[in-house]
Amino acid sequence: MRRSLQSALLLGLSSLVAAVYKDEVGQIDFHHALVGLPQSETTFFHRPKKDEKASLLYTLSDVGVLGAVNPNSGALVWRQQIFPGISHGGGHLRAPEGENWIIAAHGQQVQSWAALSGRNLWQTEFNGQVKDLEVMELTESARKDVLVLYEEDGVTVLRRLHGVLGTVVWEFREVSKDIPLQVSTSLSKVYVISLHGSPSSYSLKVTSLEPATGGRVDHLTVGTKGDVQGPQDVMFVGANSAAPILAWASNDLTKLNVHILGTKSKQDFALPADTVSVEIHAPHLTQSQPHFLVHTRTTTGNKGEVFHTNIKSGQITKAYELPLLPGLGAFSTSSEGANVYFTRVTNDEVLVVSSDSHSVLARDPLKSDARVEAVHAVSEVIKKAGGKEFAIRSATVTKSQDWVLIRNGQIDWTRSEGLSGAVVAAWAEIPEAENLAKVLAEEAHTNPLDAYIHRLTRHINDLQYLPEYLATIPTRIIESVTGGAVVVSKTTGLHRDSFGFNKIIIVATRRGRFYALDTGNHGEIVWSADVFPQAPGSTLDVKGILVNDSEGTVTVRGANGEYAVIKVADGQVVESQSGNDLAAVSATAVIESEGSKWLLPLGQDRKPTGDALKDLTLDQTIVIREDDDSIKGVKFVNQDGEIVKNEIWQLQLLPGQKIASIAKTPAHDPIASIGRVLGDRSVNYKYLNPNVVVIAAIDTTASALSVYLLDTVTGQLLASQVHEGVDGDKDISCTLSENWYSCAFFGQYTLNDGTDRDIKGYQVVVSDLYESPAANDRGPLGDAETFSPLDPVDTPTGVPLPWVVSQTWILSEPLNNLSVTQTRQGISSRQLLAYLPESHAILGITRHGIDPRRPVGRDPSAAEIEAEGLARYTPAIFIDGRNLLSHERDVVGVRGIVTTPAVVESTSLLVAYGIDIFGTQISPSGQFDILDKGFNKVTLLATVLALTWGVVLLAPMVRRKQINRMWEAFL
Amino acid sequence: MDLRILISLAFAALSAAQLTITVGLPAKPNPFLLPPSTHATLSSLHKRLEAPLTTVNTFNFHNVTADSYLLDVHCATEAFHPLRVDVGEDGEVKAWETYRGNEWANKGEEVPVKSEGGARGISVKGAGSKIFFVERPAFSVFSILKNPMILMGLVTMGIVFGMPYLMDNMDPELRAEFEERQKESPMNAIMGNAQAGQNPLGNFDMAAYLAGSGKKEGVKR
Repeated sequence: MRRSLQSALLLGLSSLVAAVYKDEVGQIDFHHALVGLPQSETTFFHRPKKDEKASLLYTLSDVGVLGAVNPNSGALVWRQQIFPGISHGGGHLRAPEGENWIIAAHGQQVQSWAALSGRNLWQTEFNGQVKDLEVMELTESARKDVLVLYEEDGVTVLRRLHGVLGTVVWEFREVSKDIPLQVSTSLSKVYVISLHGSPSSYSLKVTSLEPATGGRVDHLTVGTKGDVQGPQDVMFVGANSAAPILAWASNDLTKLNVHILGTKSKQDFALPADTVSVEIHAPHLTQSQPHFLVHTRTTTGNKGEVFHTNIKSGQITKAYELPLLPGLGAFSTSSEGANVYFTRVTNDEVLVVSSDSHSVLARDPLKSDARVEAVHAVSEVIKKAGGKEFAIRSATVTKSQDWVLIRNGQIDWTRSEGLSGAVVAAWAEIPEAENLAKVLAEEAHTNPLDAYIHRLTRHINDLQYLPEYLATIPTRIIESVTGGAVVVSKTTGLHRDSFGFNKIIIVATRRGRFYALDTGNHGEIVWSADVFPQAPGSTLDVKGILVNDSEGTVTVRGANGEYAVIKVADGQVVESQSGNDLAAVSATAVIESEGSKWLLPLGQDRKPTGDALKDLTLDQTIVIREDDDSIKGVKFVNQDGEIVKNEIWQLQLLPGQKIASIAKTPAHDPIASIGRVLGDRSVNYKYLNPNVVVIAAIDTTASALSVYLLDTVTGQLLASQVHEGVDGDKDISCTLSENWYSCAFFGQYTLNDGTDRDIKGYQVVVSDLYESPAANDRGPLGDAETFSPLDPVDTPTGVPLPWVVSQTWILSEPLNNLSVTQTRQGISSRQLLAYLPESHAILGITRHGIDPRRPVGRDPSAAEIEAEGLARYTPAIFIDGRNLLSHERDVVGVRGIVTTPAVVESTSLLVAYGIDIFGTQISPSGQFDILDKGFNKVTLLATVLALTWGVVLLAPMVRRKQINRMWEAFL
Repeated sequence: MDLRILISLAFAALSAAQLTITVGLPAKPNPFLLPPSTHATLSSLHKRLEAPLTTVNTFNFHNVTADSYLLDVHCATEAFHPLRVDVGEDGEVKAWETYRGNEWANKGEEVPVKSEGGARGISVKGAGSKIFFVERPAFSVFSILKNPMILMGLVTMGIVFGMPYLMDNMDPELRAEFEERQKESPMNAIMGNAQAGQNPLGNFDMAAYLAGSGKKEGVKR
C-alpha cells in the first residue's frame, strides 16, 4: 500500500546528482529577493512592537508583495505575496499607531498580519471590490478597528471590522449609482466619499456616519457638478486627523480645492504656473496638528506649500512655502506626538522643517553618490535625546527604480527593486574586446608575409603581459593547491572564464527597464537602462528578444511596436523606436537566414510589419497563433512587391478548447545519441524531428486536456493525448526537448482500466518518442540521411509517425514553467526544471526519475539497470529537499525559467525570473569534467610524496637484499 | 410552512456555506519556528483554497464548499503528511490520511474532527524536516584503510616482513622441526624450491608455449 520507501529510494538515487552542497551556496547561485517597487501610498515606517523604538519599513509594492524591510540593513524581514499572481499596482495597506499588526486589502480580501513575524492574524473576504481601507484610531473601546469600503455591483458597502478578530462590527449599505471612492475618519465621525453623477461630470458626495453604529448622520455634495471627471482626480483624503481634508485640483491644474470634512464649504488655492502634478502630505495621527503640505511639481522643478487648518473656524490658511527647486523632489510626513515634520529630499540635500514654521530643523547635504533623483519617499524623523539634533532617515524610491535609504546624507543601503516584475530574460555571452578566434581568422585570410608580421607584432605585444603573468604564478600555484576547486579567475569586472560560467543575463521588466546581470559576480547588476519608459498603468509586453553574441547586441520588440537594439556590454541603446498603437506587434518569429538570426515582427493581421521582407525570400514555414486560438502554418511570399500570407496548414481547436500551453524545441538542443541502448543490447531509435511543437488545449467545461504533437512543416498531427479531469483553472505547463515532451497539470479522474480507481492530485506526464515500437528498427525511413515530410507517402504504413511511450506521476505540489536543462553537446542527461509555486522553489527532476520506460509492476533486470538506469515505476514522486535547486531560498513569483549551456559539457546555467531573480548552475550528470571542491589537492600531493618517500626508502633495502641473495646462491 | 423548519433549513444552508475549517499543527516540529511563508491548500477540481499560517499556528479556510479535498501544508523547512478532507453538503467534515500515488479511495486512518460552532478543526502530522544539502564526502585516512584491497595488502606485508623475524626468534629445535615440516608440505614444491631456482615451472617458456611452438624446437634454433 505504501510506496514511500521505494520512492524515497528512487529519489535518493536521483538526489545524488541533483543536490547542492552547502559550500556552493552563494558561489554557484545568486538570488535577488525583491519586494517590488514601493507605492507611495502603501509604504511607511511602523513600530512592530509597542514599547520598542525600533521600526521596520513596510510596503505593499506594485507587484503585490507585502514586505517588511529592516531599515538598518535593507534586509528582508518577511514578505507575503498577497495577490494571486503578480499584480499591477493597487492594494491598500495601513498600520494602526502603537499596534503590533498591519492591515492589507486587495480585491475581495482584507488581511491582518502580525507586524513582526509576518504571520496572519485573520483574513476575511466579502463580495465586491475593496475601494479603500482605513484604520479607526479612536473607537469607543481601547482597541483599534478597521474600516473597509467595498463596491458591490453599484452598491456602496462600508464595513467596520473588529481589529483583533476581523468580525463585522457594523455594516453600512447604500444602494445608489455613486462610485465609492474613499473612507475617512475624524475624531467624531466616519465619512464615505463617493462620486455622484454621470461620467466626466461628477460631483463629490460626502456621507457622514456614526462611528459606533454605522448609522447615517448626514450627507452633502461638495463642489459644483463637473468638478471631478473621474476617480483619479481626487488627490487626497485625509483620515484620522482632527480635521481630515478632501482635496482635488481643477482640470487645468491651476487651482487646488480643499474641503474640510464635516464642514460645508470648500476653499481654493492657486497652484503655480506649469504645474504637472500635485501631491498632498498630511499626518495620519489624531493627536497631530492639522497641518498639511502641498507638493507641486512643475515642468522645471518642485515646491512645497504648508497649510494650517483652524479646527474652530474651519478655515485653511497658508502658513509658509518652501522654495521652488529643480528636479522631481520628494516630500514625506512624519509625526512625533503633536509635532509634524516634513522631510524634503532634493537633488543635493535632505532637510526637515516643522509644520509650524519654515525654519529648517536639520539639513543633511547629500554625498555625491547619494544624489539620487527621488520620486517619492517615506521618512522617519527622531528628535535626539536632550538636544535639538534630529536623526533623519528617508527610504526613497529613485527615478532609476531603486529603493535607497538615505541617512546623514549617505546611502545606507540600496535595493534594486526595479528588477522585480521581469517579463523576459535572455542569456548573452560577455562581449570581448579582442577575440583571439577573430584575430586568428583574420590572419588566415591574409597573405603569408602579412600574416607572419601580424603574428609577430601580436606576440611582441603579448610579451608586455609576461612579467605580470610570471608574477602571478607562485600565488596561483599556492591557491590552486590549497583552494580546493579550480579558481576560475581572479580578475574583477566583466570577463569570460574558461568554463563558460560567466555570462550576462538581460532582463526586461514590465516597467520598460532593462538590466544586465553578471553571473560571474553573484548576479550583480552590470548596467540598467530605461529603454521604454512606461506611463503609469501601462506595462511593457515583450514579444521577442534575441541576443546576437557575435555583435554583442540584444534586439527587443514590444507589443506596441517598440524596437530597440542594446549593447550587451554597457546597455547603450544603439537603435530604438518608441511604440505607437498603429505599429502594434502581435508576435515575432526568429528567422535564421545566411547563418544569422533576426526577429521578424508580425502585425495584428499576422503579416510582417514594415518592409522586413522586402528584398528577402523566406522559405521557412512560420507557425502563428491566431486570436481565435487556432494554429496556422504560413509562408510569406513576395508577390510583385507585396507580401502575401500563404496558409500551408491549420489546426483548428474543437469548440470550447483554449490553448493552455505551447512548447517548442529549445534553440540549442544538441542530440548526443540517436538511439537508446536497452538492457538486451538492442537499440530503440529516437524520433528526432526538429520541426515539432507541442500544443496543450484545455476544454474547461469538459475538464479535458488535449495534447497535440504537430509537425510544423506539414501540420501533420504526429501524436495526440487526451487527459480527462484536468483542471483548467490551475496552471498547465508543457515542455519539449530531444525526443520527449512533458506536461504538468492537476488531474482528477477515474482510471479507465476497469478497476474504477479515482485519481486526484498534481501530475506530470512524460512522453518519449521513438521511430518504431520494435528495437533495432528505424521504422519506415530506415537509414535515410534526410527526409522531407512534404514528400508523397509511398510507404504502405503511411506517414512515419513516432512511437509514443508515456507515463504519469503524481506529485505533492503543482509544477509550472516547465523547462529543460541545456548542455553544450547534450551528452549529460537532461533534467526537467519547474517552479514550485507553493514551495517557492525551483525543482530539478532528473530524466531517469521520470523515464516512461520505467518497468511497471516488476523490478528492472540487472541489465536494464546497468544500460538504462531504470528503476521500478512508482506512481508518486516525493519532492525531496535535495532536488530543489534553490534549496533554502524563497524564490517568489517566477514566471519563466531560461537555461543555457556553459562551455563545459557537465554544466547548464539557469535563471528564473518574475518577481525575484534566481540563477544557478546545474550539473545534471554530476560535475564529471571539473574538479569539484571535494577534491583535496593537499591529500593528493601528500599521498604522492608518501609513496615517493616509500620508494626512496625501500629501494636500497631491496637492492641490498637482492645482492645478498645472489651472494648466498653463489656461495 | 413551519417557521422552525424554515429557520433550521436556513441555518443549515448558512452553516454549509460559511463552513470554516481550521487546520492545526503538531507540537513537533515547533510550530512557532516555521517561516511566515508556510501555508496550507485545499485542492480539488476547479477549486483551490489557500490559508496562511496564523500567529496561533493554525490555517483557517473560510467558506469551504462541499467536495472531497486534498489538504497539503506547504512549508519551506518542514514536510507534513497530506490529508483527505471530505466536506458534505450538510457541512459534515471528515478527514483521513491519504497516500500519494494511490487511488483516492485508499484512505488511511481517520483523523478526528473537532467541531466548534461553524468551525471544524483537524490537525496534520509532521513528516520530518526537509534536507536541502548533501554532505561533501570528506577525506579520511580510515576510509582508505577500510578498503579490503588495502587490508589484504597490509596482511601480506605483515607476513612478508614479519616471518623472517619470527623465524629468527624461534627456538632452534622448533625451527628445525618447522623446516622439516615445510620440506614435506606440498606447498614446498612451489614455494621452497622457487628460491633455489629448481621450480619445475621455472624454465617454462610461456611466450613460446602460447606461440604454439614446442620447447625443443625453440632449443634447436
